[in-house]
Amino acid sequence: MAASDTVRILDGNTFVVSESTGDIEATPTEPTGLFSIDTRFLSKWILTVNGERLHALSYDDLQYYEARFFLVPGVATHYIDAKLSIIRERSVGGSFRESITILNHDEKAVDLEIRVDAGADFADLFEVKDEILNKKGEIYTEAAPDRLRLGYRRGNFNRETIISSSVAARFDRDGFAYSIHLEPNEEWHTSIDVQTRALGPGGRDLRMGLQVHGAERLALQQDLAEWIANAPKVNSEHGEICDTYRRCLIDLAALRFSPLSLGGQTLPAAGLPWFMTMFGRDSILTCLQTLPFTPDLSRTTLRILAALQGSRFDDFREEDPGRILHEMRYGETVAFEEQPHSPYYGSVDATPLFVVLLDEYERWSGDVALVKELEQECRRALRWIDEYADLVGTGYVWYQRRNTETGLDNQCWKDSWDSISYADGTLPPFPRATCEVQGYAYDAKVRGARLAREFWDDPAYAEQLEREAAALKERFNRDWWVADGGYYALALDPDGRQCDVLSSNIGHLLWSGIVDEDRAEQVAQHLIGERLFSGWGVRTLAEGEVRYNPIGYHNGTVWPFDTSFCAWGLRRYGFAEEAAIIANGILGAARYFDGRLPEAFGGYPREQTKFPVEYPTACSPQAWSTGAPLLLLRTMLGLEPHEGHLAVEPRLPAGMGRIELLDIPGRWGRMDAFARGRLDLHRLAE
Amino acid sequence: MADATMRFFEDLDQRGYDPLLAKISGTLRFDLHEGPQTTHWLVRIDRGRIQVSRQDMEADTVIGASPAMMEGMVTGRENGLAALLRGDMTVSGDARLMVELERIFPGPPHAQGPRWYGKGVR
Repeated sequence: MAASDTVRILDGNTFVVSESTGDIEATPTEPTGLFSIDTRFLSKWILTVNGERLHALSYDDLQYYEARFFLVPGVATHYIDAKLSIIRERSVGGSFRESITILNHDEKAVDLEIRVDAGADFADLFEVKDEILNKKGEIYTEAAPDRLRLGYRRGNFNRETIISSSVAARFDRDGFAYSIHLEPNEEWHTSIDVQTRALGPGGRDLRMGLQVHGAERLALQQDLAEWIANAPKVNSEHGEICDTYRRCLIDLAALRFSPLSLGGQTLPAAGLPWFMTMFGRDSILTCLQTLPFTPDLSRTTLRILAALQGSRFDDFREEDPGRILHEMRYGETVAFEEQPHSPYYGSVDATPLFVVLLDEYERWSGDVALVKELEQECRRALRWIDEYADLVGTGYVWYQRRNTETGLDNQCWKDSWDSISYADGTLPPFPRATCEVQGYAYDAKVRGARLAREFWDDPAYAEQLEREAAALKERFNRDWWVADGGYYALALDPDGRQCDVLSSNIGHLLWSGIVDEDRAEQVAQHLIGERLFSGWGVRTLAEGEVRYNPIGYHNGTVWPFDTSFCAWGLRRYGFAEEAAIIANGILGAARYFDGRLPEAFGGYPREQTKFPVEYPTACSPQAWSTGAPLLLLRTMLGLEPHEGHLAVEPRLPAGMGRIELLDIPGRWGRMDAFARGRLDLHRLAE
Repeated sequence: MADATMRFFEDLDQRGYDPLLAKISGTLRFDLHEGPQTTHWLVRIDRGRIQVSRQDMEADTVIGASPAMMEGMVTGRENGLAALLRGDMTVSGDARLMVELERIFPGPPHAQGPRWYGKGVR
């Protein structure tokens, strides 16, 4: 994973990760580069002046798609010659463009040799953290008088990087150079254009004519301004809330991703830099978090996922009829079917969550047309739950991978190998069923029933779904309740034995509504209790469990997205104060990251570390972390569509002061919400 | 050319309707190149109603592939997106139609689907 001092700019799935000088010198531990369609098109991009590397005085990420570097010759340990300065400005948007400006501050004229070393390894995104030794195809280089072509060919698979310059340069196989003469106070300027090409037969880019994306720079600026103008406004006594909100909106804009073949519609990609692609789960959960703010994302996400819904059995891709995809990729390993992401379907939560999002979207937007448009896809998703996911035949959603080489072991959001365990720390056999997915399935049936009754004119199907939901709830509360702990088991093994650890997943159960009323209080107390609540957020696994580790990826860290759904769940069952406590924790943590919450941070107690410790390899910005503050705002303000209007029932901590949320879009047009912090959280926590 | 491709398209034409395509309208033309020879299949979809012919006419989506690749697609041995990325197939025009049409292509011939666990009692 890239170190935190790398600079990243992006547009869709084209992005540049570089050092703070703007240089790219990729290694497995520092996988920098220019990437597009999951392929690295530049693995080396080093600027030198008279053979010397440059030192960064400063850099700015001006916007998510552009950055500027101020450089001087010499590395940090040397004397810095301030008589020359170099400004490097770059942007992505269709292609990668870099302009270099050199200023001579000396009283004397200078002769300079400016050189950029350029190279491309055409690594698949899945390979960048390994030594790339045995590419199966051939790398080639062609230096022409006006450009440098770097290429890779394997059969008909052909990718090229084309480098050209506005000022005549001398191109050679390893880069290009300029010899310049600068009088005192004179400056010199060149613009370099780097095109990425994914060539099909006949030399045509396979993205051509398919992609509406790839906008020009001006369009990107305009687009961002419109995106912000269309979203609700936040005013608060505390600037930090406004800053966090604005950061989230901009990051959401940056994370919009347009799939190759679906005509420019965008959905939220999962995260920068390594997850700039669509993930069913991440995209849906992000849409659920951001519905009150950017509802259009939900509409396009639902349409895209519906278009790619599974229609047959494919064991390599783990596709079933009705299943919603897990992940899509466009790199070489996918092209040659060494990896299954074309797309890969190995997740069991995306399918029920698809139904949940469609219903929630209608409740906010009143977009009945979309509910009718997606009726068949929605029915197929509901059918998948019963027909293909109940591998054990006990009425639950189970998973066991069919692709035993490259498929995922754990097909729930906690997808690392050791995330699901018994209380003694051992791992259960497969198939496994995790609790939150049963909650999602329950919610999908309940919401599907509403859609069937109100919009599909099928009351019989609605009744059937309601009966099934009620039976599932009853069964679940019998089989999963850990009586001596007062919570629900994380998972069941195929013999029905409980993985009886205390985990954050119980918060998702509250959100889904599957929790029996008389048990909700106990679940709520666990979520704000010391074992789960760190002071910043809810730990993925409770302190005291055998596998608990404050920096265990899914075994003790705090995931802001996870906590935001716990807060929503608490609020759903009427625990508004408890929801405010954990919302306050996450929003407090956001301050330490300039409003940009990482994927996860350490589960250390707040009193111990005083600040949230970022998880070492966390991806940032990450879509569902970006969505977390938005969902927490919704939760604290108590925003809920109710019989065609927007109900507002704020419960804010006293320290949060006054918050206004203006122009909330929905079936009501635009509405405002006002709130004042009145809750004394300290008293409550005692 | 009494092959799987022909059977696929003829079967499609005879079926005349597929609910998986109920929301789709448009035309797709498959250009199957082999040496100097190109065979065409034109698929017209009108909200799920399907007509197939051998006409070489303008279409919303044009797919180019070898006959062998097409045979792989209609028998479930080849995946459309992987073939596109690999350069073994071209798609121009409205790619969404191709994505939607792929729904009715069969899965791999030996796919088993979900593995049921033995001991369950409901």
